[in-house]
Amino acid sequence: MNEIRLLFWKDIRILINNIKLILKNPLRLLPYAGVVGYIFFMYTMRMKDRSNGDSTEQLKNLDLDAIPSIDFATQNIIGGITVLALIFLMYQLFKATKNNVSFFKMADVNYLFTAPAKPENILIYYMGRMILPTLGGAIIFIAYGASQAAASFDFTTANLVFLVLSLALFLFMLWPIRFLVYTLNTKFGVLEYIKTGVIGLTLLLAALILIPGLMAEKFWQGMFSWISSPWFDFFPLVGWSRGIGSYLSHGNMLISLGFVALYVICYFVVVKLVIRFSGYYYEDVLEATKSNEEKLDKARGKKQLGESSYSLNTSKKLALPDFGTGAKAFYWRNYVHSSRQDFHPLFGLYSLIMVAVGILLAGLSLFDWFSHYFIYAYLMIMLLLYFFAGIGRASVGDLKKPYFILVPASWSSKFWNLIKLDIVQITLFCLMMVIPAVLIAGLHWLIVPFFLLATIELYLIGFGVNLIPQIALDEGWDRKLIKPVMIAGIFFFGLIPTFGLSLVTFIITKKFVWALGACSVGCFFIAAILMHVSLDVLKRLEFKEV
Amino acid sequence: MLIVNNLVKKYGKQNAVNDISFELQGGEVVGLLGPNGAGKSTTMKCIVGLLRKTSGEITLGGFDHLSVEAKRLFSYIPETPYVYDLLTVQEHLQFIAQAYGVRDWKDKTDKYLEIFELSDKADKLGRDLSKGMRQKVSICCALLPDPQVLFFDEPMIGLDPRAIKNTKQIFKELKNAGKTILVSTHLIDSVETIADRVMILKNGNIVGNDTISNLKHQFVQEEGTTLEDLFLEMTKDE
Repeated sequence: MNEIRLLFWKDIRILINNIKLILKNPLRLLPYAGVVGYIFFMYTMRMKDRSNGDSTEQLKNLDLDAIPSIDFATQNIIGGITVLALIFLMYQLFKATKNNVSFFKMADVNYLFTAPAKPENILIYYMGRMILPTLGGAIIFIAYGASQAAASFDFTTANLVFLVLSLALFLFMLWPIRFLVYTLNTKFGVLEYIKTGVIGLTLLLAALILIPGLMAEKFWQGMFSWISSPWFDFFPLVGWSRGIGSYLSHGNMLISLGFVALYVICYFVVVKLVIRFSGYYYEDVLEATKSNEEKLDKARGKKQLGESSYSLNTSKKLALPDFGTGAKAFYWRNYVHSSRQDFHPLFGLYSLIMVAVGILLAGLSLFDWFSHYFIYAYLMIMLLLYFFAGIGRASVGDLKKPYFILVPASWSSKFWNLIKLDIVQITLFCLMMVIPAVLIAGLHWLIVPFFLLATIELYLIGFGVNLIPQIALDEGWDRKLIKPVMIAGIFFFGLIPTFGLSLVTFIITKKFVWALGACSVGCFFIAAILMHVSLDVLKRLEFKEV
Repeated sequence: MLIVNNLVKKYGKQNAVNDISFELQGGEVVGLLGPNGAGKSTTMKCIVGLLRKTSGEITLGGFDHLSVEAKRLFSYIPETPYVYDLLTVQEHLQFIAQAYGVRDWKDKTDKYLEIFELSDKADKLGRDLSKGMRQKVSICCALLPDPQVLFFDEPMIGLDPRAIKNTKQIFKELKNAGKTILVSTHLIDSVETIADRVMILKNGNIVGNDTISNLKHQFVQEEGTTLEDLFLEMTKDE
């Protein structure tokens, strides 16, 4: 077991070095202190509510005759949580058939996998070690949840311990199970059987909700009656965790410890199976490890998000027109990329779906029971969507490539060609959705230009909001502190007054079209200012290589 | 020392390594050359056990290449030098010393850190090292256990000129010490002077496996031909 000792030593050293890093820069702890402060604040507030005794007073005045024999509220809460956990479990099992889980880092691959160490010992250590992050996550979650529910429940140490255990063991067990699923698949090629099993189990669980629901007087009264009943506590993982957590209601330690024992037995069985079937698993985890490392690098900002992440068809053969020279090359490149992403570079599947939804809502508004407000709400959702699309655009694309600096063309031309395709796509989408919608629903024709303008403006605002700090501010505290201040400024002095003006216009005129008009006029000024600043800071763009 | 028999590695239906066989005698230095995608790294990764071979047999010192006994005999320097972000340079070496059971690791560590000009970086964390420094750490870690066989996968990438010179010097010293080395590289001149033999891979097949002089004699009849000319001749598309 030399490997276990060695890995333990390595992790202790990593822990010590991490503590040293924190001590060098204690400000890193500020967000954590904020979370602890928030939890403590919520806890004291809830305890105050409790001491006021509102709930007990209500209980005293409760009309016992009015209470139904079955407490549907409790049943649905338990059932709802159980269903959420089941969905999560099914999703994780299904995911396991596609990708392997990796507990490792690329440094492990380079140093440990080639070292004279037994693969199974390495796997046992890393699998067991996963209890730490899951336990940590469970403690934070339960601390947060308990602070919110402190007024309703009496949280003793035992209560909290069992709640933490129920969540931590559930999350922890998913790792070895996912690893086992992938291992069985690579070893025996049983992917289809596993998929069928997962789908079958999902259907069975759906039936467990549908059958009692349909049998009951009202669907909502019966739907969770089976899965919230005590016998469901024996359903693997989800039920066991519920059994452990139910200590909160029955206070019987023996029952909850029984479910913990089930987890322990299950863990040993799964580990035994993993060790037996995984064999020489190094290649199986290689890709997942590399991909995890890349994700981590992206999260740390070392690498940019690859555009290929969004590509749907990388082998698509394209016959593309030549748009010209200079900065137009960027438009051409975006055009190629978009061609691979969708069936047409200018108008894709998602646009088609969104247009269809818009037209459908317009059609429905012809009926008395369907309000025009649904279309207006939909248009506003689209505006918000394109604002976020603008934010996302500054993270992906040519901007972080050296070509953007090297291509011999003016900055304004490069900038225009960078966003040109998006503007064309937005224009096409807006017109194809809003013109039929206006005609079908009989809306004011000015909605067409106002919606188009507002969408493009909000896209540009989103683009500017993300682009300017990226270029103008250096890494570190500058970006962390000034970016929120800048965004807050845009919101407080730009977007909020604009939306305020829009709202006032709506209250006065009672017409959505004028509210949208006010919005497009206000956003025009914000977008103009941000584009001016963007073009100005763009000249300062430099290529940052790691 | 190393015997590879009928090694096949498939990715899906595509053969990355196509039924190759070769041997490395103890004390031999062999250069593994080939264009991009020829299968050099895949071959090496199959030998060190990072990739699972589709079929074939690989033994190291008489042991199956995946056994702990075989792994005690070799070190591997990967193409991409990943390190532990939160271990210092010194701790990386200590980790390797423990993993391989190296007793006098402190003296050796000092020696290698000095050769690769890392002495002042001994307490630096992995995450704070440049790519070149990581490569140096990787090489130091590989040398520390004093293995019988060394697999270098593109060892010069990212190194500064002095480190390249030192690595070449290390190759010579290892060769003189009787170590067996398999080095995959694009820098042909780096193996020309020290390699006893070169193996040239193309599309997963060995298209040449002999001493440089024999290969020159076999494939290029002109006087003054370099290994680079030979490589280009043997890997050109028909």
